[in-house]
Amino acid sequence: MSDRVRRAFATGGLAVLLAVPLVMSAVAQERGEPSFAPLPTPSLNFYGVPGLIDMPSAETLADGQFTFAYSWFGGQSRYTASFQALPWLSGSFRYNGIQNWNLGGFGTYYDRGFDVRFRLHRETRRWPEITLGLQDFIGTGVYAGEYIVATKTFATPGLNPGSLPGRLKLTAGLGWGRLGSHGSIGTPFGAKRPAFVPNSTGGKLAYDQWFRGPVAPFGGVEWQINDRWGLKAEYSSDAYLTETQTTSVFERKSNLNFGLEYQVTRRTRLGAYYLYGSELAVTAQIQLNPNHPINRLAAPAPQPVVPRPPRVDNPLAWSTDWAASPEALREVQARVTPLLAAEGLVLEHLTLSADRVELRYRNERYTSQTIAAGRAARVLAGQLPSSVETFRLVPVAGGLGLAAIELRRSDLEALEFDGMSTAALRAVTGIGEAPPLAAEALTGTVYPRFTWAVGPFFEPAYFDPAKPIRMDYGVELNAAWEPGPGWIVAGTLRHRLGGNVAGGRASNSVLPHVRTDQVQYAQSDTTLRNLYAAYQWKPGANLYARLTGGLLERMYGGISGELLWKPVDSRLALGIEGNYVRQRDFDQGFGFRDYTVATGHASAYFEMGRGYVAEASVGRYLAGDVGGTLSVDRIFANGWSVGGWFTLTNVSAAEFGEGSFDKGVRFSIPVNWFLGKPTQQSVGLSIRPIQRDGGQKLDVPGRLYGQVRQAHERALDTEWGRVWE
Amino acid sequence: MIARGLVMLVAAAALAGCSSGNDTAPLFPQLFTIGKEAVAGRAARRAQAAAPLLTRAALEGIEGSHIEVTIERRAITGYLERGLVRSDAGPGRVEYWRTQDNVSLGFRNGVLIATRGLGGDLVSSEVQVAGGRLGPASGGERGMHIRSGDLQVVRLGLACDLEDLGPETVTVVERAHATRHLRERCVTAGTVVGGQQLGAGEVVNDYWIDTRAGLMRQSRQWAGPEIGYLKIRRLLD
Repeated sequence: MSDRVRRAFATGGLAVLLAVPLVMSAVAQERGEPSFAPLPTPSLNFYGVPGLIDMPSAETLADGQFTFAYSWFGGQSRYTASFQALPWLSGSFRYNGIQNWNLGGFGTYYDRGFDVRFRLHRETRRWPEITLGLQDFIGTGVYAGEYIVATKTFATPGLNPGSLPGRLKLTAGLGWGRLGSHGSIGTPFGAKRPAFVPNSTGGKLAYDQWFRGPVAPFGGVEWQINDRWGLKAEYSSDAYLTETQTTSVFERKSNLNFGLEYQVTRRTRLGAYYLYGSELAVTAQIQLNPNHPINRLAAPAPQPVVPRPPRVDNPLAWSTDWAASPEALREVQARVTPLLAAEGLVLEHLTLSADRVELRYRNERYTSQTIAAGRAARVLAGQLPSSVETFRLVPVAGGLGLAAIELRRSDLEALEFDGMSTAALRAVTGIGEAPPLAAEALTGTVYPRFTWAVGPFFEPAYFDPAKPIRMDYGVELNAAWEPGPGWIVAGTLRHRLGGNVAGGRASNSVLPHVRTDQVQYAQSDTTLRNLYAAYQWKPGANLYARLTGGLLERMYGGISGELLWKPVDSRLALGIEGNYVRQRDFDQGFGFRDYTVATGHASAYFEMGRGYVAEASVGRYLAGDVGGTLSVDRIFANGWSVGGWFTLTNVSAAEFGEGSFDKGVRFSIPVNWFLGKPTQQSVGLSIRPIQRDGGQKLDVPGRLYGQVRQAHERALDTEWGRVWE
Repeated sequence: MIARGLVMLVAAAALAGCSSGNDTAPLFPQLFTIGKEAVAGRAARRAQAAAPLLTRAALEGIEGSHIEVTIERRAITGYLERGLVRSDAGPGRVEYWRTQDNVSLGFRNGVLIATRGLGGDLVSSEVQVAGGRLGPASGGERGMHIRSGDLQVVRLGLACDLEDLGPETVTVVERAHATRHLRERCVTAGTVVGGQQLGAGEVVNDYWIDTRAGLMRQSRQWAGPEIGYLKIRRLLD
């Protein structure tokens, strides 16, 4: 094996990313050290899905892969984000602009669309990968098309002796809709296909057109010469009928497209192309995978657990007399508090007896409650008198005791250096509900607690045809005062320094303008984002409650109450929330407008396993409409979360306006995934293809489910691997 | 540049998003601190590259047992002081070593069983050691539990052969030691866990054992796919 291969393995670099899996693993078996090789990932096409140039291929992204792609040709730009939600299922969201459209009142035509792809057959030695795809399958469907496609991969020899082998991929498929518009060979599933209507409200599943109308073959070849360079050639079955015949966006002179791609970094690929015999074109592709962080998270090493001296050697150390002395208890608390603080943990309460301890603490550093519990246990093991054997750790959020993690000190001592320490400790750890606070508990010095922060803010607004992305920016002041456990008074003040959201489109909604007046709300520079008081408590077994009042969010003020039932070991949670709110003045001071609404929901949350969390809720929305919302999110053990939702209410598609119903996608990435240092922040976005007034929920700060779930059994089990970190 | 534009756009838009902490600790001061640390770290690494070679004279007067550890892949060297020494229900003796900047290594009879503070750490390791004998006692099955990119623990099973390469003289900072060289060769078929592929491969660990002094004078051990090989020398007994 060449040095190059070994180097590539050592750095986990590009060679691994793109190399032929079969050949590589055979070589690796002989010499290279094992590595977390990212599975070879396919390159993307102009629609941001695995493919050739303008045509798709059957290849599948690695599970969890998250991609962004930009493509441009002939005045047509497409921005696509895709997520491989399951090993066999991926979804994409696309925003596109077509210049020189000059049809139906659009100079440039902007649209948004969703794709979905299903892998029907995984590539084997003999058989190709086979994928079924629906392109732009809801919405007005300018790119609507369906396909079934097969791709087979072959290894090719390296360019010169000693260089890595290349990869050749042959693709052939059948397309309907846009992908069946050139060189059709028949209409197997019916000739009738509704025509594309640019001015329709869209938003409905277009199942009446799937696989209807003419079908046409397409195909092509991709040759990945080495770890950097790739060549592509394809035969396109897209006639670009509207673009070239109804109007003249570009000229289509040929069926053949050619391209050259270059892998700039492990995550970035650029391409240049010659399309349809007339157009030069470019793409940029970025691929991320939650399993492959930008910087590996490293927390400072913990202090090891020091075993207690055996009782026979030092009976004095095992005396229990201390437990009767209040001074001794307070002395223990005074020793433990700063050591916990050094680990980012705040002691809220400590209940000590001769053989047991219950520590209630707030975790302010780690995304995972398991590493926090592990660090807390280490501090206790290092500081408590020898006779204390049972540790009960209660993570606390907003005054709520979330769970009780119970373990024995002797297990900590015995298992720290065990070969299978992680699983072994879990086997002897109990996870249950946090009991009510004991009367004799020592209270930490945490309350009253005042915190504040100043930082920049960015406030985007999307998909205005005149300007797809608008952005305001400025400084933000956050302050919070917690007078006692469960109580909080908090507020956010913003001052805008610049931006262009205020110049956006005015609302044309026929419903009460519960969300579409964003532009009006963006007229003032200094705004009070929110200012509220809240109280959280546990009214009974497995129950969590919250009451909030004040200026709850940017657009609404009022009161909000919530009750959540969630046993620690249950996949299921049930919640009910009621709010009575009034719309705030556009200047976001203390004034109100005259729109008042009672809104609320009953929700069921279900942890489906493998990180999938579903939420179904029914209730009344801000515009007074009644209906339900379904959402699914995939939450990775490292805190990544990607999901989507849709809402159907009794508002008709015509009343709702463009899009027909509310839907969107969202993601959240923990900042530590970029930085490699423990921090609880995350960055994220929720994107709707269009913001309307139907199916809109109130945005109350401090909803219960997120606070509670992260410390319950399933989340703790998923993240258990960090307990010894 | 389009790609950068996209990244900026996503990053900028993302910063407007949510924060998962229930506290108001702001992101930007943290970014600033981390940026400062990164710059300081780079400066420190540059300074280290220019640092003079260790001499025995320079080591005189330093208290406590110390090892020097080099992460080969990153060409970073650190010095660790011995902390906890203990025994547990497992065979042999456990030693816990730590740098001043909170990176730690755990060994059982001189065989690496844990790392902390490096990222992609070796969480725990099932090793074949026996009694008071330093180094692996025999070949056979080994299991390494490794922190993966999504912060899970992945077990990598290895099948090892142990070879005695006989006596060798090892010099550590001007001092020559008579040692026995053991070489452990481990192969793995790899594993796929949760959508991640931990590839097949071979690992070679070398141990230079000073039987008379009862010390591991030098070793080169594999700490998992994320960290790679560590070169370890005993500087001060």
